[in-house]
Amino acid sequence: MTCDDVRAKLTAYLDGELEDDRGSAIRGHLRGCDACRHMAADEAALRDGLRSLPPLDPPNALWAGIQRRLAAEEVADSDRPAWRRALARFAARWRPLAPQLALGSAALAVAVVVLAVHHRVGTIDEPQVAIAPPVLPKVAPPAPPIAPAPTIDGDVTAELADDAANRTASYRQAAEELVSTCMTARASWTDDRKAVFDAKLAGFRKSAATANGRARDKVYRDMRSYLQGVAIRDEVTANDRRLAGTRGLP
Amino acid sequence: MTETAIDSIPTPALAEPRPRVSGSLSDDAELIAACRRGEARAMEMLYHQFKRRVFGMAHRIVGPNDAEEVAQEVFVRVFRGLAAFRGDAALSTWIYRLTVNASLSHLARRGRRQEVHTSDESLAELAAPPETSRDPGLASRIEAALQALPPGYRAILVLHDVEGLSHEECATILECRVGTCKSQLHKARARMRELLGPIGERS
Repeated sequence: MTCDDVRAKLTAYLDGELEDDRGSAIRGHLRGCDACRHMAADEAALRDGLRSLPPLDPPNALWAGIQRRLAAEEVADSDRPAWRRALARFAARWRPLAPQLALGSAALAVAVVVLAVHHRVGTIDEPQVAIAPPVLPKVAPPAPPIAPAPTIDGDVTAELADDAANRTASYRQAAEELVSTCMTARASWTDDRKAVFDAKLAGFRKSAATANGRARDKVYRDMRSYLQGVAIRDEVTANDRRLAGTRGLP
Repeated sequence: MTETAIDSIPTPALAEPRPRVSGSLSDDAELIAACRRGEARAMEMLYHQFKRRVFGMAHRIVGPNDAEEVAQEVFVRVFRGLAAFRGDAALSTWIYRLTVNASLSHLARRGRRQEVHTSDESLAELAAPPETSRDPGLASRIEAALQALPPGYRAILVLHDVEGLSHEECATILECRVGTCKSQLHKARARMRELLGPIGERS
């Protein structure tokens, strides 16, 4: 064992961290090497000297100073808006997880970019791409010109088509009921108002006739909203007239 | 090669750590909960439990002039930060980490304001040869030599040798690997030996 070997392990040896055979070899070297033995003696004295340094008592004023600082911080807390305190609590809770969150966000961003690029490639070179881009389920095929394929139990596509057809029918029915209500009220309207209402209604009917699926549902929903507004306005006007008549107002 | 008497060979000595200041885990949890609720007695109890070690570490890392300021900063951070203390490490380890970090940050700020130079004369004084094998002035020379070390060396010597913490605890506090901690301690002691000169018994 050389002096360099011994000196490199001196700290570990003196702290009792070496196993027996290595400690024994170092002790053997120290017996024959004055320079290393003196160095070991110095380090042992230093170690013992550091360990026996006395504990230090803080000045009595320390606790009072801490209490003053804490009181000042609490006053500052009460002056701070609630949202800033909530933000500080949130930050304190999540700060230890910041590295993991940053890593997760980076991974998510990479995944989004990869998927976006993949989807774009799939759109441009569709025939060459092995994996087909995701296809949204097609719903509500409008009145198929040929008889649908025979459905079997659990045929999800057929069930979805039935649901879509039922939904469209219910939107149309609601709209048509409102049309008949408004047509009753229409008799008392001015010619200008009648013209505006007729034009609007014709527009909805034309759009519904040309649109399919969800677009047609939307037309019926918009039509229903418009007609509800008309009916409510008409009801309010009629009510105002009744009240005016009751109270003898013009 | 001459043989040396058995009793003159420096031998290993396991550290005798100072009495643990932290109680059991359940004691710590109760104390932390009471401090979080702002109970004055619990806060004072926690202060008295840790005041010597926090002040002692700060004193030996930043020096006597700024020790009180740093210790105050540490305890304010402890009480303000207890709400976010997750218990991943022991309460004592967390408090010592705050102490070391506050001390090193303080030195960095102070270093920017004024460079601390250790004169050759003061280094020569440190290295004055001991008159006896049991040097009565050794403790004060060691304290002075500590102040001449780079802050990182000071921190590891204070944690491991003065406070008697294990390498694992030191590594957790200094946020480094155990191997790094051991090599830093080795270099720090070598630097101290250079500063102090011969202090061990000669045979």
